[in-house]
Amino acid sequence: MSRFDQRGPVRPAARAAGPAGAAGRTHRLAQPRRARVEADALDGHPRAIDGRVVDAVRESWLVEDRWWNGNPIRRRYWEVVTTCGRNLVVFHDLRAGGWFAQR
Amino acid sequence: MIVCVLLPRFELTVAAGDREELLRTATALAPEPGREQRVGEVSPAAEAFGIHAGTPLGEALARCPSLTLVPPDPAGVADRWERLLVRLESVGAAVEPERPGLACFAARGLLRLHGGSLERVLSVAHRALRQPARLGAGPSRFCALAAASRARVRRPEIVPGGKAEAAAYLAPQPIGLLRGRHETAALAEPLERLGIATLGELAALPRAAVADRFGAPGLFAHELARGCDGKLAPRQPPERLAEELELPEALSGVQLDRALQLLVDRLLARRERRGRTLRTVVLSAALVEGGTWRDRVPFREALADARRMRLALAQRLQLLPAPAERLSLAVERFGPPASDQRSLLDEAEAVRRSRLREAVRQARAAAGPDAALRVLAVEAQSRVPERRVVLTPFE
Repeated sequence: MSRFDQRGPVRPAARAAGPAGAAGRTHRLAQPRRARVEADALDGHPRAIDGRVVDAVRESWLVEDRWWNGNPIRRRYWEVVTTCGRNLVVFHDLRAGGWFAQR
Repeated sequence: MIVCVLLPRFELTVAAGDREELLRTATALAPEPGREQRVGEVSPAAEAFGIHAGTPLGEALARCPSLTLVPPDPAGVADRWERLLVRLESVGAAVEPERPGLACFAARGLLRLHGGSLERVLSVAHRALRQPARLGAGPSRFCALAAASRARVRRPEIVPGGKAEAAAYLAPQPIGLLRGRHETAALAEPLERLGIATLGELAALPRAAVADRFGAPGLFAHELARGCDGKLAPRQPPERLAEELELPEALSGVQLDRALQLLVDRLLARRERRGRTLRTVVLSAALVEGGTWRDRVPFREALADARRMRLALAQRLQLLPAPAERLSLAVERFGPPASDQRSLLDEAEAVRRSRLREAVRQARAAAGPDAALRVLAVEAQSRVPERRVVLTPFE
């Protein structure tokens, strides 16, 4: 079983805008960018990212943050190594859906 | 009312020198050594083959195999153009040079000085130039350029009125006139290919459509075609301070460095410098193979130190395409008598910060306000990666 995520962006960056983001030409680094991920149906681990086959999962962790305000964040992160040797970090947005790559 | 002075094919004429017969055949200015391989100004016979200034060299030779290439003479052009500008300034004109062969000035301040009529001002300017030139006058710079393009040497063309009259005058003019302004020169060809043959047709296009297709240069061209233009920015008449060295044998390498050293020392010793620093200089050379070479060198900071000047100029001298038989160094702009004051105590951190600040200033001047940013940790311990650091203006 597999699925491709092609839904529209949930703009996690917009949620993250804080006091510094409001300043003139300031912009944030490490913004999530949408990724095309083929995920395993059982445990949800990525099997292919942007066409690159995942060789091994190095680590997985859950981030739950900002639950005290109106824009909570709930993400399942995966750090993986692809067959071409790339070390990638992707997350699945558990609230709005969608997969994103992030460094 | 703006007056435009146009000397068509000025650079080609200067480079051809007394070989006037060249201008009657298919001739073009060869590309400058080390620059992009595109021809410069072309003769009317070469234009008949569809060659324009800026045509790639290979394409120009393919269109006209018998095309004669004249080595460019940038130093000669700059000298001759400067003399003409000084002649115009000598009748009271505050001149804005657009490029060699094209200059504009406002006639308003000269009317009372020269008899009260525009025709009289044009006549005085024509006499001051002491060489054939086309003169046109109009409500805007671009309109004056269009008028000068249609004028004859002995019959200036005047477009009276304001913006509406300028737009009406420009409407039937060919779109190729946009080549006369460096901001819009690249637009002439694509517009011609799209079937827009006149400025009137360009002015009739929806502004939004022009903006979408051609961006800022397109919007500017649209404004020009509608009779609008920016204000004149007359130059400050420069002080002439130059040193020249005839080289008995064509020199290159270490000997040329020695010649440069001598030139720098001579220039700094000139009394007319009055202790001021130098901000920008022009290094030029007459090449043994014919033609000249010219390079404008703005210093990172105003200098009066011969050693630092030599360091900056020696690098440029290595770009010389051939051995030189004459080398000259001229001041284009002076700096203040004293440069930035150093701190009394040699504080390494203060010096480093000052240099960094200057580097940031120069980077921003060259590439915009976002050229120098720094990474600032705002929530270094955040579990959400995009909240940890931001890019922010350097200072």
